[in-house]
Amino acid sequence: MSDTPGSASTLGRAIINKYPDIESKPLDGNKIELIVPPEKIRDIVSLIDEQVSDALPESLFGIDLTENKYELIYIFWSHANKMLLQLRVHLEGEKPEIESVCDIFPGLEWHERETHEMFGVNFKNHPDLRLLLLPDELEGKFPMRKSFVTDRSRMDETGLAQPKSRPESGGESS
Amino acid sequence: MSPDILDEASVIWFGPQHVSAHGWATKLTLVGDYIVECDPNAGYFHRSAEKCLEFRNFRQGSMILERICMMEAFLAEYPYIAAVEKIVDLEIPERAKIMRTIMLEFNRIHSLQFWWGQFAGELGLFAMLLWPWVDREYTLDAFEELTGSRHTVSYATPGGVKYDFTPKFHAKMEIALSRVKERMPVFDDMLAGSPTFRLRTEGVGHYTAKQALKWGLSGPNIKACGIPMDLRKDDPDPNLAYGMIDWEVPTTHNEEHPGECDAFDRLLQRFKEIETSLDIIDKLLPLLPEGPIIDPKARAKVNRLPEGEGYGRVEGTRGVTSVWLKTMEKAQTPWRAKIRGPCFASYYSLKHIVPGARFADFPAIFGSLDPYPGWWDR
Repeated sequence: MSDTPGSASTLGRAIINKYPDIESKPLDGNKIELIVPPEKIRDIVSLIDEQVSDALPESLFGIDLTENKYELIYIFWSHANKMLLQLRVHLEGEKPEIESVCDIFPGLEWHERETHEMFGVNFKNHPDLRLLLLPDELEGKFPMRKSFVTDRSRMDETGLAQPKSRPESGGESS
Repeated sequence: MSPDILDEASVIWFGPQHVSAHGWATKLTLVGDYIVECDPNAGYFHRSAEKCLEFRNFRQGSMILERICMMEAFLAEYPYIAAVEKIVDLEIPERAKIMRTIMLEFNRIHSLQFWWGQFAGELGLFAMLLWPWVDREYTLDAFEELTGSRHTVSYATPGGVKYDFTPKFHAKMEIALSRVKERMPVFDDMLAGSPTFRLRTEGVGHYTAKQALKWGLSGPNIKACGIPMDLRKDDPDPNLAYGMIDWEVPTTHNEEHPGECDAFDRLLQRFKEIETSLDIIDKLLPLLPEGPIIDPKARAKVNRLPEGEGYGRVEGTRGVTSVWLKTMEKAQTPWRAKIRGPCFASYYSLKHIVPGARFADFPAIFGSLDPYPGWWDR
């Protein structure tokens, strides 16, 4: 399935012809990955919306690569073409930013909200960036970042009792 | 909408205490008994499953996923195992492939039996709440016979499955399946054949296929619009046996409004889903070959994974269920695990489906989407 209309490589080539600074990488089967610069994301997502009439916005999520480097992955699935499109966006900086695409695919609205609260990625022009899953009273920010501490040093915040420390030598006999 | 209408609007929290809210809360703005705005609120069950997965090795991870959705526990854990197998490039024995597929479909039947009762109960038909749940016990007995656990079966493991089918399990599965077959016409009569039930569900919660795709709906919620979108056919996992047999993706067509569906269509669609699952199990059972059920080298291979990315997907009872895994070199735990729950989209889409409906129709609308809070909260 390399050159038939509706195949992933055909669509990939059409996108690269229009936007030459995008790299593509074939995955197994009828799947393709496009590496998209952050400022081009709206162009590419609207192009997908035009070209693939039954695109299903399957997923959007962030990855923390440490040292203030982040990746965003957008996954689209087309049933008619049996095709999977994966967009990869590299973001950098303490406060990464990208344009929101939830007006093109409303289904990504909550995915963007979740990525915002979990990774601190700001989605510009998003209509509603309230917390989705996290409680308002959570101390510390961005739980899915690798720098977020999850060990016993934060036990106090949970309101649970501290585990008792074990006696050093088997206890006394009396 | 003119602002003076909203002056008289009242705001109601549907849940988390309401019986048919199952512990989640939706903020509804009402004018009279018409809903003008719906704001679904997630987060009541959030247990940070994705972060927990970063601290578990590749054989433990699937147990966390099972606890996200107890009703389809095996379907929920399977994408994780599929993603691990993609990264290591594992091919499992043929017997294990067929056994996995049978158990996935058996689990789907169990989940749909639960949904029947839940949906009928939400609409006030309490006899129908308990009947399918009694039948469900037979299915759970079979699970218990095979794995020792009634819900969280943890049946598959990277490289194969954990337990072989025994004659006793075959007998119990036969009882459970014949029970489903026997009672299907009764349930069909009680739900689809009941004039009251039709009045409550027909024309309620309309959306078109195009809208559903934009919102990210999948599974029975989109097949009810007539689109045969089904990962079992479109993109089956290489370690499952859906390709070995001939079967049809069920769809429902609304005759009055082609390309649309309402709550009643989604109910009919879920009846067809259970028939398809029964059909797949019936066709796969005679194909079960003798042989090993696990690749003996797999255990050593998944101790430390190479650097890579894997995307495991399965058609769950409620739609596309997937896990995206990223591993670093010689990883004992995933660097990042993203869980895509099908109900994340269906709960979100309430925001668009509900406005304009009457308050009494609200349980019918969200019940027909088969929501499960674990999937959006994770």
